[in-house]
Amino acid sequence: MADWTTEVFENEYLPADATDVHAIVTVTCQGAGTAGQSGAAAEVIIVDTSGSMSMPHDKIVSARQAAAAAIEEIVDGTWFAVIAGDNTAHLVYPDRRALVQAGADTRAEAKLAVQHLDPGGGTAIGSWLTEAAALFATVEADQRHAILLTDGRDESETPRDLQAGIDAGRDMFQCDCRGVGEDWEVNELRGISSALLGSVDIIAQPEAMAEDFQAMMRASMGRGVADAKLRVWTPQGSELLFVRQVGPTIEDLSDRAVQVSELVREYPTGSWGDESRDYHVAVKVPPKALGAEQLVARVQLVVGDAVAGQGLVRATWSDDSTLTTRINPAVAHYTGQAELASVIQEGLAAKAAGDDATATIKLGRAAQLAAETGNEEATNKLRRVVEITDADTGTVKLKRDVSKLDEMALDTSSTKTTRVR
Amino acid sequence: MTECPACGAPVAADDQFCETCGATLGNAAAEAHLVAESEPPDTAVSTQPLPPVSAAQRCSCGGEIDADGWCTVCGLRAVSERDHYTEQVAPNVAAVCDKGRVHPRNEDATALAASRDRIVIVVCDGVSTSTDSDVASLAAARAARDVLERAPAPESRTARALVELWTEALARAVAAAQERAVASAAAVGARENPPSSTLVAAIADGPVLVAGWVGDSRCYWFGDDGATVQVSVDDSWASTQIAQGTARTVAEADPRAHAITRWLGMDAPPGDPTCTSVPIESGGWLLVCSDGLWNYCSAATELRALLEDDIARIGDDPLMLASELCDWANAQGGHDNVTVALAHVPASPTLPPGSEPEAGTESIPTTEPVPVSDQPA
Repeated sequence: MADWTTEVFENEYLPADATDVHAIVTVTCQGAGTAGQSGAAAEVIIVDTSGSMSMPHDKIVSARQAAAAAIEEIVDGTWFAVIAGDNTAHLVYPDRRALVQAGADTRAEAKLAVQHLDPGGGTAIGSWLTEAAALFATVEADQRHAILLTDGRDESETPRDLQAGIDAGRDMFQCDCRGVGEDWEVNELRGISSALLGSVDIIAQPEAMAEDFQAMMRASMGRGVADAKLRVWTPQGSELLFVRQVGPTIEDLSDRAVQVSELVREYPTGSWGDESRDYHVAVKVPPKALGAEQLVARVQLVVGDAVAGQGLVRATWSDDSTLTTRINPAVAHYTGQAELASVIQEGLAAKAAGDDATATIKLGRAAQLAAETGNEEATNKLRRVVEITDADTGTVKLKRDVSKLDEMALDTSSTKTTRVR
Repeated sequence: MTECPACGAPVAADDQFCETCGATLGNAAAEAHLVAESEPPDTAVSTQPLPPVSAAQRCSCGGEIDADGWCTVCGLRAVSERDHYTEQVAPNVAAVCDKGRVHPRNEDATALAASRDRIVIVVCDGVSTSTDSDVASLAAARAARDVLERAPAPESRTARALVELWTEALARAVAAAQERAVASAAAVGARENPPSSTLVAAIADGPVLVAGWVGDSRCYWFGDDGATVQVSVDDSWASTQIAQGTARTVAEADPRAHAITRWLGMDAPPGDPTCTSVPIESGGWLLVCSDGLWNYCSAATELRALLEDDIARIGDDPLMLASELCDWANAQGGHDNVTVALAHVPASPTLPPGSEPEAGTESIPTTEPVPVSDQPA
């Protein structure tokens, strides 16, 4: 049984007439165990085999090795399959439309099969997702996870086809997405991974692919808690401003809310391994008299039907300014990180659109926030795109001849956050 | 046997709390029985406060209260009578018992009695590392109070006779309290940390104040003649150090300061309470409190100054004064439960008819606190 802990970081003291309460709720899972322990687990590996995967040829060679490395990590008993994707999805392993259980024999067969992945054709990611969903549906499983690799834009089908693939996967399987090279669309993959509760990242060099695939599959196999939900109660008369995952990555969960009752909403969080996730909860409540106390949110982690952990977000109205003016470091930190993510994305979008003035302001603010919040990864990646003249004031100059890969790396990492210093 | 209304587990008729879920049962029938039995024939004023144990099951908005203690509809904190209660058994005798600001529940308890010939104050402080100490402390405080309240009036009213009588009664009172604390431990079943509690009891009777205690809840006397004394001596690590010469401020600031060397409960070291007495002919204020107060104001002179400031501001109503001191402790941080019991002892104690005060000024024997040899295992 996994152990869950929840911690709440907030300044519960509000000045007279204040209404907005912000809190960071950290949920930590320990002793998660192994995927499939509570029911079956299933994995599908989706490898882009469009024609561009042979340009250069080492892309497809690395993809074969990466698929094999991932297969090697699949624990015994897990249902799995491998799909090759071009204009449509092709089953690579097994040879009929089904999932097979991992064991020494099936892993060896699958690793052999992926050595024959050959490029040709276009890119229709929606059709790959639809096929993965159909495969997953062939077995009863508690947790389903896919790895998707592509090197290009979704250009061989309509946006509607892509949306159909995403919708087929939503609430059915989680999907970690990886883009190799510089011809894929960060926003497109981010849309898929976000809807399917997975991660997105760039693999700049093909030779790094095997290690990344191995790590992804290993992480998935370590998620022994098949499915958990974040349940948020807010009091009558209040307004839930937003619920946002802020660590380890930023994901606005507000759109995923399932209204359970008048005062309770649930948000899917997928499967959990031994990890911590931070949530930023913001609630607007009618102000109360000085000295009054109120519970502003119950934030619960729900596994099955059981509440595994609960954090209480409170408010106390006070006229003591030494209390009410305190800024909670966690709230401040993650508020800054969320803004960092959006200014990076907005700045890069402005740059791509040729609006250098906006790009300079946004990326300047990003440099300032990254420095303030100690996000060194963001600072390093920003340096490849802009020249930081003064991080304190957010003064930057756009660099000329920036490599596309550096921009994409900055974009994909924009939602990764650092912990509070 | 009946059922707990909260969880349905079987509970005994006189249980105040459910053993299974901890819900307060507020057993009015059992309380009433206790009142009838304990009512002394010569009671001048009501001695029985409202039982502070009935839980509010519903919020003022009508919503249900969650197990976390907050309303499930409007988010207000549930008002638990156990968390904050006051008692006033006579115009000059009152107490406030409060959860404080930090602890999740109130494990302090107090029980009072006042009649023509005596004032009885008991304060207990449940040990917060133990399970269900709030149950044990309240049961213990009431059991001790009942013994002291029912103790027959002495035939001789010399100071010496009174001190002997009350010293003996205090031993019985603490034994009764210990019995109840153990019974409540048995009720919650074998656990790692059986409930335990401190106890201090003070009786003001005519010319003498007699106090007995186990643990570090305290009794102070502020005489109108200027006497300003901490009557009790903590059974604690700090007081052992002070007795050995360490400065009070140093000893009390040590992390081990509050480690108590005696307590009530299943694993309590055996022995009678330490007892002592002081002369109180002049009248004055009797203050009995838990460490939730004295943590912020330990020295008798400072505590007296605090009380006198309050009297100058708000008058001498003991309930208002006790509330003021409790609020003050909370304003200092309220890091522990806070109990403040106060009695304004008149200069000329009213004596029962036919019992005249002794002529002359016999000196009052004062039993010195005996060092405690029972150390916890």
